[in-house]
Amino acid sequence: MISIEGLGKVAGETRILRGVSLTVEPRTVLGIIGPSGSGKTTLLRCMNGFERISEGSLEAGGVRLEAVLGEKEYQKRVKLLRRQVGMVFQHFYLFPHLSVLGNITEAPVQVLRQPRAEAEARALGLLETVGLRKSWSRYPESLSGGEQQRVAIVRALAMKPEVLLFDEPTSALDPRRSNELAVTLRGLVEQGQTMVIVTHSMKFLEDVADRVLYMEAGEAVELGDTAQILNDPQDPRTQDFIRHAD
Amino acid sequence: MIKSLLLLCLLLFPIGANAQTVLRWGADPSGGAPYVFSDPAHPDKYVGYELEMVEALAAAMNRRPVFVPTDWQTIVTSLERGEFDIIVNGLEPTGDRARVILFSKPYYVFRLQLTVRKNETRINGLEDCRTRTVGTLGNTAASRLLEKEGLNFKGYEDPVGAYRDLELGRVDAVLMDVPMEAFYARPSPRLKPAGEPIQPSYYVIGLRKGDEALKAEVDAAIDKIVNDGTLERILRKWNLWNDAQLELRAKPANGATPAPGEAQPNEALKYEMTNATFNWSEALWRLTRAASVTVLLSLGAMVIAVTLGLVLAVGQSRGPAWVRFISTIYVEFFRGTPVLVQLLFLYFGLPRVGLAMPGWLTALVGLGLNYAAYESQVYRAALEAIPKGQYEAAYALGMSPVLAFRRIVLPQALRIALPPMTNDFVSLFKDTSVAFAISVWELATAYRELANASGEFMLLGAIVSAFYLLMSLPLAHLARRLELRLQRRQALRAVEAEVAG
Repeated sequence: MISIEGLGKVAGETRILRGVSLTVEPRTVLGIIGPSGSGKTTLLRCMNGFERISEGSLEAGGVRLEAVLGEKEYQKRVKLLRRQVGMVFQHFYLFPHLSVLGNITEAPVQVLRQPRAEAEARALGLLETVGLRKSWSRYPESLSGGEQQRVAIVRALAMKPEVLLFDEPTSALDPRRSNELAVTLRGLVEQGQTMVIVTHSMKFLEDVADRVLYMEAGEAVELGDTAQILNDPQDPRTQDFIRHAD
Repeated sequence: MIKSLLLLCLLLFPIGANAQTVLRWGADPSGGAPYVFSDPAHPDKYVGYELEMVEALAAAMNRRPVFVPTDWQTIVTSLERGEFDIIVNGLEPTGDRARVILFSKPYYVFRLQLTVRKNETRINGLEDCRTRTVGTLGNTAASRLLEKEGLNFKGYEDPVGAYRDLELGRVDAVLMDVPMEAFYARPSPRLKPAGEPIQPSYYVIGLRKGDEALKAEVDAAIDKIVNDGTLERILRKWNLWNDAQLELRAKPANGATPAPGEAQPNEALKYEMTNATFNWSEALWRLTRAASVTVLLSLGAMVIAVTLGLVLAVGQSRGPAWVRFISTIYVEFFRGTPVLVQLLFLYFGLPRVGLAMPGWLTALVGLGLNYAAYESQVYRAALEAIPKGQYEAAYALGMSPVLAFRRIVLPQALRIALPPMTNDFVSLFKDTSVAFAISVWELATAYRELANASGEFMLLGAIVSAFYLLMSLPLAHLARRLELRLQRRQALRAVEAEVAG
């Protein structure tokens, strides 16, 4: 469950986000679309504390961030927030010096203090679900882009986050891989995962998202069910964007 | 025109250049008192009893003396190279030198004096030094005696260093010629002589092989100043006169003056300090030991450099402003000044504030501190090469900055830093040779000393080079392999990023 109220972000003189309010229900997927520079990635990065919010509040996984909090308290909560909110980066950022298994077990062992054997057993189980069990001992450099992404997803899942964030997950995938990813993610939602996905792909949104947020110039323009936003947008700015989308 | 030019020349250079030939003499003036040394009152001027003696000799030979300052360790080689015509530097007629140069007749009888610290009670003579370290000048009668007696000794470049180290407790005793002992040790309130002077021997003048005519001239001049009292006057002035010198005088009683160069020494003086031929197997053994000193020195220094370098790099890139400032000052200081100067400072400067480390430790620490500055920059470059995404991925997984640095960033940075560090190790390895400046007996020092003692510069040079290469080539090869592996990995990653993108 995510709930955002009146969220604003100012960096220096530039206003990146203004008055964003939304909620994401548990076990649902929110897709965020919008032109480049609309602030969608910044909004996503606010959700795991990479960007500090300047106005309003944000609550995810039971941790509440408020713009008015003192820096120390804010950072303390960010630490807690990150236990609840995982992230899969556009470029995955796997750790090149660790094997697939090492990438996945590093945080559970070092941060959650799970016994290594337990963490490894769980990692292998998760790898099984994305069809990479046999690749546990390989190193990231020898994996294809799609494989790297699946490892990155498993790495985030290993921390059992309540919410999983995705930044442009289909940018490196061909349409078939894109479909496979959609299937994988829906499977995770079935198991109770809540997700927020920033994407440019309308097709992918249709396959994955329950609701869609259209953003422009740092504002949340329109939020609705996926079918409604894609087929019957109300705001003229959304209409214009959908018309020009692929 | 030509005639007038010639006339001008004759006017400008009257008789001096033609009629009076020069007598070029070589000696080491650094720490050279009382033989020849820079006058403390007039540092541009040299003084010393040998300087005055050479002036007297030159006058007897109707020559003009010209002093050529040189280095004691290489003095025989310099004579052979023709940088000067004679060595007058308290030279002892040792067997190994006799094979490469000529000796004049003796002009001074000297003995060796053992010196210890004032509060020393255990050492009363050389026999008490079996388990201790004795300092002396390298490549002298004293060092040869110590070597022959199988004592543990340390060869210094000059007497000042040896006596200072004795005061500081770096050596337990110092054995040196009485003239030097009288000048450098006697005035010190912290030192005292141990036992009576021992081992009488001669000072002679060294000449190139084949310079027989000059030798005859020098011998005649020595005879003259020894017998007419000139030398005695000089020696008395320098407080170096003793009755032992009378032995050098011609004995008119039996009417025959000894043949030039064959002043018969009495029984006590017959002791031949070294007439052993150069012992190759012993030399190789000493080189091997010196090589192991070099290896240990480089390893120890590298451990310091690699550890401290990381601290500096982190301080410089992550620390608060004042840490960053101090780290930067450190790096710039150690990179911007010569390592030799740093070593000399540590060795000679720190004892002033009560921190006297032995030579090997000074070299190890000094080189370590110096290379830490370089390694910190290797680390810094490696740390900067780690993409921001790696930090973000680690933070997103809930890692603290410290954990992310330790588990994610540092291991990757080390991989990048390893090849340049291996290269640095190779150069550190060679840089250990500066340790000779503070009397550490490592490979380069060993070469210098052995080569000077034997004259085998070529062969020993080749052997020592082989020692260095044997150790550095495998390392350089390793560095190259690590580098290639890293390049391949990076290339692969770039290709995959392209395919993925």
